[in-house]
Amino acid sequence: MSVRRAFNRWRATAAPWAVLRAFVVFVYVFSLGPILITAAVSFNATNRSFFPPRGFSLRWWERAFAPEWVDPLLFSLKLGSLTAVVATALALPLAFALYRYRFRGRQALIALTLGPLMMPTLVTGVGLLQLFQQLGWREQLGFTGLLVGHVVICMPFAVRTVSVSLQTLPPNVELAAASLGATRIATLRWVVLPLVKTGVVAGGVFAFIHSFTDVNLSIFLARPGETPITVRILGFLEFGFAPTLAAVSVITLIVPLALVAVVERVSGLGDFIYGERRRA
Amino acid sequence: MPMAMARARKSIPPLLIVALPAAVLLAFFVVPNLLLLSASFLKSEAQQLTTQPTLDNYRFLLTRPLYLEVFARTFTVGIAVGVLDLLLGFPLAYFLVRTKSRWKGLLIALSLAPLLASVVVRTYGWYIILNRFGFANDVLLGLGVIGERIAFMPSTGAIIIGLAHALLPYAVLTIMGSLNGINPHFESAAMSLGADRMRTFLYVLLPLCLPGIAGGFLLVFSIAISAYATPAILGGPATQVAATAIYNFIIQLLDWSLGAALAVILIAATLLLLYGAGRLGERRATL
Amino acid sequence: MPEPALRLTGLEKHYGATTAVAGIDLTVGHGEFVTLLGPSGCGKTTTLALIAGFVPPSAGEIYLKGRSVADLPAFRRDIGVVFQDYALFPHMTAGENVAFGLRMRKVAPVDIARRVGEALDLVQLKGLGERRPLQLSGGQRQRVALARALVINPTVLLLDEPLSNLDLKLREEMRVEIVSIQRRLGITTVFVTHDQGEALVMSDRVAVMNAGRIEQIGRPADIYERPATRFVAEFIGRMNLFAGTVTDARSVRTASGVEISLPVPREIPVGANVSIAVRPERARVTSERTARGLALAGTVRQVFYLGATREYRVDLEGGERGLVETPNDGSDARFASGDTVWLTASFDDCRLIEGGIPRGRP
Repeated sequence: MSVRRAFNRWRATAAPWAVLRAFVVFVYVFSLGPILITAAVSFNATNRSFFPPRGFSLRWWERAFAPEWVDPLLFSLKLGSLTAVVATALALPLAFALYRYRFRGRQALIALTLGPLMMPTLVTGVGLLQLFQQLGWREQLGFTGLLVGHVVICMPFAVRTVSVSLQTLPPNVELAAASLGATRIATLRWVVLPLVKTGVVAGGVFAFIHSFTDVNLSIFLARPGETPITVRILGFLEFGFAPTLAAVSVITLIVPLALVAVVERVSGLGDFIYGERRRA
Repeated sequence: MPMAMARARKSIPPLLIVALPAAVLLAFFVVPNLLLLSASFLKSEAQQLTTQPTLDNYRFLLTRPLYLEVFARTFTVGIAVGVLDLLLGFPLAYFLVRTKSRWKGLLIALSLAPLLASVVVRTYGWYIILNRFGFANDVLLGLGVIGERIAFMPSTGAIIIGLAHALLPYAVLTIMGSLNGINPHFESAAMSLGADRMRTFLYVLLPLCLPGIAGGFLLVFSIAISAYATPAILGGPATQVAATAIYNFIIQLLDWSLGAALAVILIAATLLLLYGAGRLGERRATL
Repeated sequence: MPEPALRLTGLEKHYGATTAVAGIDLTVGHGEFVTLLGPSGCGKTTTLALIAGFVPPSAGEIYLKGRSVADLPAFRRDIGVVFQDYALFPHMTAGENVAFGLRMRKVAPVDIARRVGEALDLVQLKGLGERRPLQLSGGQRQRVALARALVINPTVLLLDEPLSNLDLKLREEMRVEIVSIQRRLGITTVFVTHDQGEALVMSDRVAVMNAGRIEQIGRPADIYERPATRFVAEFIGRMNLFAGTVTDARSVRTASGVEISLPVPREIPVGANVSIAVRPERARVTSERTARGLALAGTVRQVFYLGATREYRVDLEGGERGLVETPNDGSDARFASGDTVWLTASFDDCRLIEGGIPRGRP
């Protein structure tokens, strides 16, 4: 076939897809570029956030592991883990009741559960701050206040994933267990819970990530000394953009990334992505 | 759902099971919002909330040019970010749904990965690019497009770019969900009947994934109008949006009345949008 | 000489290391109904997609009415396609679906309305134009899909297993209907299926495909009576295949060592391994060896009563198995399991196909 023929054939049939591919590359560059730039900046030898980085140095990374950054990081990790546990623990009975029973107020309960998802987290944060202040719980701001706030906004994720999990239960599995002599508790323990394990794990992971990356709620409930890492970074951004911040930012990206990678390997998260994000 | 069983056995009343979680939500979600609502109707004096009911807070916010500007900006940002994310997200979503590459899973994960980074982290990158001594300026100067450095930020435009970047995965996910349900044969059928790619898109693809597109837009819009971190970093004191204004009122000015009122306006707007989105979804469902 | 409606020359499609279509040459005359028949994975659907333009060919040419179209995208080829899942646009009514192709061709609205009405009439869906696909039954949707493809008067009508999703009764009805519509309109048609019954009933010619190639193409009777390869012999209907070796121009030695006098086609050389192909309904089970024709000794293993026919499964000397189908004339079975019998057939009912059966075949 002549070159011209081949080109015409390509143009008629494959070209549109090639154009799409090119555009998609552009979108990926747009999407991932700034993140990669941030990572690159952290290796700057100079004191400014230059891109492309001038010189190569690891000293900002050294600074990133200094207490002033490690403390908030550990704080966020602790907060996130506890949020995940509590949110999932509270979500389990909720999801189970919604799945199993029909009762008056079921719709209201659903609305209540999804509420924090619909409401801007900023507003929830402001409201909680007001609540704590009105109750005179000034001291409770910081870890406790943040924990409460995070649990509230992360619970819907856990309820979602556990619900999705429950829906994949074979319909008669509980009846089968009952016919084999299992009590209510035993059925729960040996049949239902193991089957919804992936939902629970996914819920915990999403809750952790949501807590770890939250800013809008945390800025209202943090206290000096008890500040999540995101709020800390935000605070420093007002003073300048030292490469240390870049290094710290990269660390805050690696944590959820690693978590997702590990969990995906071990128990799989794919099914929950659509289920989690699908809105009303 | 094994309903027969629920009735046949003596059940633990469901309300008991959900008591604890429901209580937590009521106490720490509903109550705070009610408090906010009430505070928005109360007067503030000397940075203290009084118990005097008033509509002045709303009057203030809805008539002062400064705050009308804030609303206008917030709304503009929301629309611009929504549109931008649709323009960027639809082709990407279409590609991800239709591609037969063996890297499909990885590509999808990559498109969602930015969600794992905190908004702060994502916005920091844009600071580096958009600031006066940043990457964008370097490139444009180097290419000779501009003669001297431009301050791309702080500005509303920078906020739009930063937010569009941060919220793109939400649009992609929503649109993908919709596209996934569309049989690829529809496009082949349309083409076999003489529709070129543009007309296939307009007459067949678009009508069928309109719910996903509308849903994606509304989702992005509703998050954009309540965004704090990105406008705080890429905008400045002169370019406020609703969220930064609320922060300003409450943390800096300690004015709970106005802060609460502004928050309530924000909630109202969001709920209205979500209601509208829900209705759109319903109408489409009767296809 | 006028150009044929469709001509494929050296058509190939490769996906990386996999070859879906390995070289197809096909000519379809105006008004002809040709079926691409084969098992899944044989390349028939890919070939259809190539003709339609959904997929670009790796090599080869496609001519529609003499015009090369391989460089043209699907929307510039003058084709009509009916998909296996019908692919009716769910957001349009049946009438709007049918009208779509006409709209794309900028036909005047008045004419569109008239032609849509005629098309729906043709497929016996008069008056159902306002219904949406969701409100139609499977059979009705299929007819709409057909009407949609026909109304634009394409050069070639392409059907990709359109009857697979219908239940048996409906399938048999639709077969007849499709053929009658096709004859009435005289529209050139390429039909893809894996169901050989369908292929035989509906087609003017059948192209049996395997592994990306056409193994044999011919009229249904030719394909059935005179299969050219073992694959075709086994794919169409049921076939007994007995191993043999050609000893000279007029004899073949069977697996059990018996020499039979059987005319050998000139193309098959002496010494070649062949299969003696006999249709079960042409074979008979007899208690004594026949004087002339094929006769193989064996024992009846099983007898099945199928209502209209009886089947005898016979273990032959030499280890092979034979299948004989006899019409049920109302009498009892003449033989029972364990009887020593001869499997016989006249030479006219035997065909020699080159290529023996590998040892150890069940």
